[in-house]
Parts: sequence; C-alpha cells; structure tokens
Amino acid sequence: MIGRAPRWAIAIMGLIALVWIIPLFGIVVLSVRPVGETMLGWWRLDSFTLTLSAWQRVWDRYPLADAFWTTAFLAGVSTFLTMLLTPAAAYAFHFLKFRFRRLLLIVIINAFVLPQQVVIIPLFRLWRDMGLMDNFAAVVVPYVGLSFAWSIFLVKNFLEDFPKDLIEAARIDGCGPVATFRHVVLPNMLSPVYAVGILQFLWTWNALLLPMLYLRTHVPLPVVLARVAGTYDLNWDLRAVAALITTAVPLIVFIVFQRQFAAGSQATSGGKE
Amino acid sequence: MSRIDLVDLNKSYGIFEVISGLNLSIEDGSFTVFVGPSGCGKSTLLRMIAGLEPITGGDVRIDGNRVNDASPIERGVAMVFQNYALYPHMTVEQNIGFSLRMAKFGKTEIAERVSEAAKTLQITDLLKRKPAQLSGGQRQRVAIGRAIVRDPQAFLFDEPLSNLDAELRVSMRVEIAKLHNKLGATMIYVTHDQTEAMTLADKIVVMRHGAIEQAGSPAVLYNDPANMFVAGFIGSPRMNFLRASASANGVVLAAGPVLPMPVSDQSDLRVGIRPEHFIVQGESSRFDMHVDVVEYLGGTRYLYGTAPSGEELIVEARDLGSVRAGDSVPVGFQPDQALVFSGTGDRIRTERQ
Repeated sequence: MIGRAPRWAIAIMGLIALVWIIPLFGIVVLSVRPVGETMLGWWRLDSFTLTLSAWQRVWDRYPLADAFWTTAFLAGVSTFLTMLLTPAAAYAFHFLKFRFRRLLLIVIINAFVLPQQVVIIPLFRLWRDMGLMDNFAAVVVPYVGLSFAWSIFLVKNFLEDFPKDLIEAARIDGCGPVATFRHVVLPNMLSPVYAVGILQFLWTWNALLLPMLYLRTHVPLPVVLARVAGTYDLNWDLRAVAALITTAVPLIVFIVFQRQFAAGSQATSGGKE
Repeated sequence: MSRIDLVDLNKSYGIFEVISGLNLSIEDGSFTVFVGPSGCGKSTLLRMIAGLEPITGGDVRIDGNRVNDASPIERGVAMVFQNYALYPHMTVEQNIGFSLRMAKFGKTEIAERVSEAAKTLQITDLLKRKPAQLSGGQRQRVAIGRAIVRDPQAFLFDEPLSNLDAELRVSMRVEIAKLHNKLGATMIYVTHDQTEAMTLADKIVVMRHGAIEQAGSPAVLYNDPANMFVAGFIGSPRMNFLRASASANGVVLAAGPVLPMPVSDQSDLRVGIRPEHFIVQGESSRFDMHVDVVEYLGGTRYLYGTAPSGEELIVEARDLGSVRAGDSVPVGFQPDQALVFSGTGDRIRTERQ
C-alpha cells in the first residue's frame, strides 16, 4: 500500500517516543511512592508502596488550588488580550497607511531581541512607584506587551500571503478599514491567531520570573513549584506532584489544539494558484 | 447608468509617471475596453476610476460630478477582479449579498436581490456553497453576481477571463456581452487579449506607456489604425510590416512590389498588410513567398515563411490546393488594403485613405 510507513520506522519512532515519555512516567511514579523507597531511583523495586500522601501533603502545605486559579486567570487574561490586540495591530501595520508606521513596527519587533531579564529592574521600579506591586496588572501588562514582538511578527508574516484582492473587494463592497478587518480579514486569519493564542497561553502558564518578582499574595503554579523545590527537605515526591499539576494544563492544551500549530494559510481569493 | 469622463488624468508613483495627461469620455451605457500590453497602465486607469488608486492629477467625473476623493461605494461602481476575490469564509449567497449587508439593507430585500442576481447568472443551485467548492467559471459568475446585485452606475472588469481555460473564456465572453445587452449599464473592461476587445467593445481604447494610442470602434481600429502599434496590436495573427522606401513611382517594397502611392520622399517606410488581405496565387501576385510552416486550422490555414527580402511573413490561405513547407508560392495584395507607416511608426495617409 502506498503511503504506509515501513515497520522498522514505526519501531524506531516508538523507541524515541518511549525515551521521551520515561521521565514523565518517572515523575508520576515519584509522586505516588514514599521518598524513602525512591532515593536511589524511582525504578528501584526493593520495596514498593503506593501512597497518595505526597499529593495530600502538597495540597495541605501549599496553596495549590489558589495558585491554580491565579495561573488560569493570568494566562487566560494575557492570552485573551494578545489574541484580541495582535490581529488588529498586524492588520493595521500590514494594510493601513499612517505616520511612523515603519518606525513603530521596528520598535515593537525589536522587543524580540530584548531578553526578559533586561526589563525586570526598570519594570520593578516602575511598578513600585505606581503602586502596582502585587497587582495582577504588573504581570499581565508585560506579558501582553512583550508578546507583541513575536505575535505581531508572526501574524503579519501570515498576512504577507493574504490576497490583496480581498481587501480591495471589501472596499468596493463598501467596507471601511474596521469593517474590512472584522468581516474579511479576521475570519480568514483565525489559524495564526489561534497559534499565537496557544503559544501565549503555554508561555504565560509556565512563566516564573515576572510573577515571582512582582506578586506576593496570590502566586501562580510555577512559583509554588519553585517554592516546593526551594526547600532543603528531601521532598522529591512533593516536587513531582507540583510539577505534574503545573504541567497538566499545558499538556492538555497542546494535545487538544496541536492541529492549529500546523495550520497554514487557508485564505485565497479563489484564483487558480 | 452613467457617463464617465477622464480629464487630464495623471498618475505617478514618486517620480515614475504611469499615466500622463489622459483624456477620455465613456458614454452612458457603452461597453469600453482598455487594451494594451502589460505595464501600459490600463489596470491602473481602471483602478483609478474604481477609487482603489489615488489620483495624482486631473479629474475623474461620473455624470459630471468630480469623484476624485470619493470612495468606491460613493462613486457607485462595482468591480470584478481577475482572481475573483471571493470571500473564502462566506457562502455564495453571503458573498453576493455582502455589499448590501454593508449598506444596511433589510434581510428580505437582500435575499430578494441575491436570488434575482443568482437567477440572472444561473447560479441559484450554488447559493449555499463556499467558493472553494466552485469551478473557475462558477466563481467568475459569483464575482459578477456580486457586482450586479448592487445595481451600480458602472461595472469595471479587470481581466476577468484570464484565469479561465480557452473554451470557458469564449462562453463567458458571450455571457458578458449578453449581460451588457440585458442591463444596458456602462461597462469598462480591461484585457490584454485583442480578441476579447474586438468581440465585446463598442469602443476600444488602445494604450501604451500610460497614454492612449487610439480610441474608437473595433472596425475603425482594424481598418484605419492611427499608427503601427495599433495596427500591430489589433488583428490576429499580427499584421505584417514590410520594409519599403519612397520613390517617384510610389512606395517600393524591399520585397519587390511597388504601390502606386504618392508619398513624399522618405527612405525608411513600413508597409502593413494583414495576413487575411493577402491573395495567394491570385492574378495580382506580386512576389514569391518561401513557406516554412503551414498551420492548418480547418476552415483556414496560415503560411509562415519569408518574403524575397528575407522578412518574415504570415499569410492566410483560405482555399488553396496543396502547399507544403519548403514550397514557394506567389502572394499578392490589393494596394488599397496596404497601410503605409513612417519609420517612427506614424501612419502616412494617401488621398484615398
């Protein structure tokens, strides 16, 4: 049969997948066995006990539920704002003419080369002066602002292939710039917008640095994970649980939306390409 | 239905002038075709009329009103694009009705007008489909439907048939002609295909380098071209241009024959003769043609070869026995069907013409 992969290829793929999944499996095992049993490695079977005590202890000692909701809120709001603003900005930069368009675009895209660590101190002072420390805005604003560098770049690149004919047809049909964006451009650029949304969600969900520095009362999961890991106890079982809880959502998001990563441009003006 | 006037129209991109000082009147209800080689500015001109391209200088007037700064919708023009430009996420019905929706028409009125347009174009059974599920010809119909549903002042077509295959192109051409008869609307059509121009137009505007070379009815352009460029552009296969010079007896072709035409002394002339105006093996044979290729088209055939002067020649041979590649055949023409041009390409008219 044409198009069917040979057996050896499947075998090699399986092997690689297994190697990839072993650490994850190890973390799961770590989280359900007492530390004493797994000191020399989670695969040791000298004595074998299954226990959920690590899960209970983490739950009791650390504000996991609160952290979960904080993470969901921060990632959700940041992702929503990025998905809302990026396509509009990319559209404006690509199709509209206004003063300083080129300069503005260069400034925004150049944030790309700026490592996050560079902005930490200035931002810290700014938030402190503005009284925004320990406020979710202190994290959401840089999340969204810094995301523009890559997200506008990504969506604008997608728009390079967007048929100009459609924009002109919309003008002929009586659309202004906003109506053109709403009725013609946006419905045809959903795949890069989803891709931006997924990436932004994964990164904001896993972000550690900014919330660790700017938030105190309610902190997201990666910060909690860092606190769990930061104690000097032998708490591999607790770390495993925290890691699993932190990873679970991004993993689900990735599995559900993985097709969006591969989706390309589907907008054509109908001509024979 | 409206009259369009272009007055001293200019268009430049920076220092590069695309259209300069162009004047043209397009009568109400006429079918005008802009034709010319690539880059001659014909599409730019159409887009300036449409309101998609800003005007550098001069005026576009619709029914006497200056519309230079008006949006396409204010000008009341509809346009059909070369690549159809159908909105891929909308059904055919939504595509056709989109401009009405933007103009805040009521739902029932939109539905009525869409179904009427669909009936005119025989695409009623396609209304629920998306553009991706349509063939090229069907997409073109939808694109036209999107234009007619608005009942515009003028229809603008930008090479609408160039993406279709040859057979469909001919049938859509006929459809567009029918549509023009039915609607009686002003239509402007851009093409580089002279056959489309000849068959559709009331008036053909031949353009080159952003200027009008000649504008007139197809018959005028065919029989009485103003210069060598128009003569060569209109008519298929292309007109033959043979080298000649003026003498006391008239115009002497390098290939041999002499045209009894009084032309003031110019050494560098061109004589234009259409392939279909040659008479093969007739009484008036004037020179022998060496045949390289015979192209048989059923009803007629074209001989490709060289004149005694070594110039390339295309001759139509309608009813002729057997001519094979390599043969030499005598060919001639009626002197009054030959057009004389100066070396720079301008037409030199004799008294009879």
